[in-house]
Amino acid sequence: MRTYSLRLRLLLGATIAIFAALAVAWLVMTWLFERQLERQAEQELRRDALELVADLKADPNGAIPMLEGPDDPRFEKPASGLYWQVSGPNGAQRSRSLWDQVLPKTPADALDWRTQFVEGPFGHRLFLLHRIVQPEGSKDAVLVQLALDEGELRAAGNQFAQTLALFLVLIWAALSCAAWIQVELGLKPLASLKREIAALRLNPAERLSAAYPSEVEPLTRAINDLASAREADVKRARQRAADLAHGMKTPLAALAAQSRLIREGAMENSRTASEGLDRAIAAAAAAVEGELARARAAASRLNHQDEKAAPLKIAQGLISVLERTEKGMRVDYRLDIPETLRLAISEEDLTEILGPLLENAVRFARRNVRVASQSKDGKNLLSVEDDGPGIKMSEMADVMVRGVRLDQAGGGHGLGLAIARELVEATGGMITLGESPLGGLRVTLSW
Amino acid sequence: MRALVVEDDPDVGPDIVRGLEGAGYKAELVRNGEDAWFKGDVEDYDVAVVDLGLPRLDGLSVIKKWRANDRSFPVLILSARGDWSEKVEGIESGADDYLAKPFQMAELITRVRALVRRYSGHAAPVLSIGTLSIDTRRMAASLDGKPLTLSQLEFRLLNYLAHQKGRAVPAGELAEHLYGAEDPDDTNAIEQLIVRLRRKIGAERIETKRGFGYMLADADR
Repeated sequence: MRTYSLRLRLLLGATIAIFAALAVAWLVMTWLFERQLERQAEQELRRDALELVADLKADPNGAIPMLEGPDDPRFEKPASGLYWQVSGPNGAQRSRSLWDQVLPKTPADALDWRTQFVEGPFGHRLFLLHRIVQPEGSKDAVLVQLALDEGELRAAGNQFAQTLALFLVLIWAALSCAAWIQVELGLKPLASLKREIAALRLNPAERLSAAYPSEVEPLTRAINDLASAREADVKRARQRAADLAHGMKTPLAALAAQSRLIREGAMENSRTASEGLDRAIAAAAAAVEGELARARAAASRLNHQDEKAAPLKIAQGLISVLERTEKGMRVDYRLDIPETLRLAISEEDLTEILGPLLENAVRFARRNVRVASQSKDGKNLLSVEDDGPGIKMSEMADVMVRGVRLDQAGGGHGLGLAIARELVEATGGMITLGESPLGGLRVTLSW
Repeated sequence: MRALVVEDDPDVGPDIVRGLEGAGYKAELVRNGEDAWFKGDVEDYDVAVVDLGLPRLDGLSVIKKWRANDRSFPVLILSARGDWSEKVEGIESGADDYLAKPFQMAELITRVRALVRRYSGHAAPVLSIGTLSIDTRRMAASLDGKPLTLSQLEFRLLNYLAHQKGRAVPAGELAEHLYGAEDPDDTNAIEQLIVRLRRKIGAERIETKRGFGYMLADADR
């Protein structure tokens, strides 16, 4: 079996989700910061560019005179990372920082400032600002370029990314902690539920308290209902056991009395004594039989409902048993059941229901016993009839009342009928008594 | 009369043996299924009393094995379970009667006597009238070698007629034999039975002798 922990799942889920969210945040923020750096660098380069362009004049033959250049000392220091270059058709001027290098050519069509990244001098990539300018008194356009080493931009960006990453890892740790606390708090009711259920196991009268979150409450209510049902079952079982014990007490008392009679040695009493013993044993057997029938009925309650029993085959089997008895072999059996008829009950249950009913029918029949099926209101009825004396209407009601002593009710039909009734009711069926056209009792069953 | 008692309970087994011996049987006690199977296979008994819950081999299997080996002595089953499914299963396995525990010894003796009487009353176990043959031990009949499905009552009617071969049997006598008592209404019931039996074995096999009764005829001659 695969075991898994709810806590581990929740924690893992939370930490992974938080990590993913923070990672995305890191990527986006780093990207935004780099764009911001570029915009800032562009602003600075533009300021320098305006300073540069302010001095720009062209002489009549198109050559570009010496330029002051912007104030930033880095323009004076070779390979400092900050460069400018002004190039016209007849020659160009460059910042000292460019030394012997040249800024790469860019398309000479930008009438406003534009930026782009290019491969530049000293093997570095450059962030380049450029446009063309028409100097005063000149007919030729000159290309003005200012550049900043990309490395400077990146250095600031990387530092920011690193600091941000460190910070976000700290946040991640803090949030994971919070998630863990949340999971612990969320699962806490389960731990107390476990304790209470353990207590419930020790004492069936105990119930789970109502102090649970609304999400757990349906569960605790279901458990409480289950516990109540179990308690009721146990109570009923105890009651049954007590009933059985009481049922056995009378025969036991009778047995004791007869035993005393025998011991007192009156030989002429021995015959009545043994008859008394037999009566007591029969009463005990009836009590046990009734209890067994109830137990069987309880067991069949657990059976599946989609079972299909073939009543014809079952009735034939039962008749083959009854035909072996002295009375049974003198009875004429009629089976009016289609071979294809199926009832929604297990074969075993139907056997145990029809068995006592047929036995009764044979016992009371004069000559004939009939098992027949009819269809009524979409229900299949199964009836067992005999041509015996039947039961009086007043007694019929008695037999069907719960709690009537099985062996006394219904003029001897009692035990069999009561056993059948218990089983029929346990399997969700109906049992009714009536008069048969044959003259005796008709027991009708339906599921 | 020899009886085999198969019962593992140390009290009940000897008690049955005592009971049967008191009734004039020579009874042997076996305490497990395997011994029972062996004994029943090699020795001839007139009746066997078999408990179902046995060590080593259960009672139903013992009976099935005997029947598979053509051992046809009557068998009375004893069982503590006493539910109907088991009774049906027992009869289908080849047993002849069933008694649930707890039982009265007198009841057991009565059942055993009835079984023995039923199986030993006939000199010839199989009666033949033309192509109709009646196995009085198995209580089964066949026509042209095909088994007939007869109810007990129908079989007993046919059997009685077969034993009174050549004589017309009045309906009243049949009723007395079949039902054990005479009742004016029963002639009707006998008539219905005859109609049913004729449907199963052929109308020409049971002749009606007006004023006398019914007679089984050899219709194949």
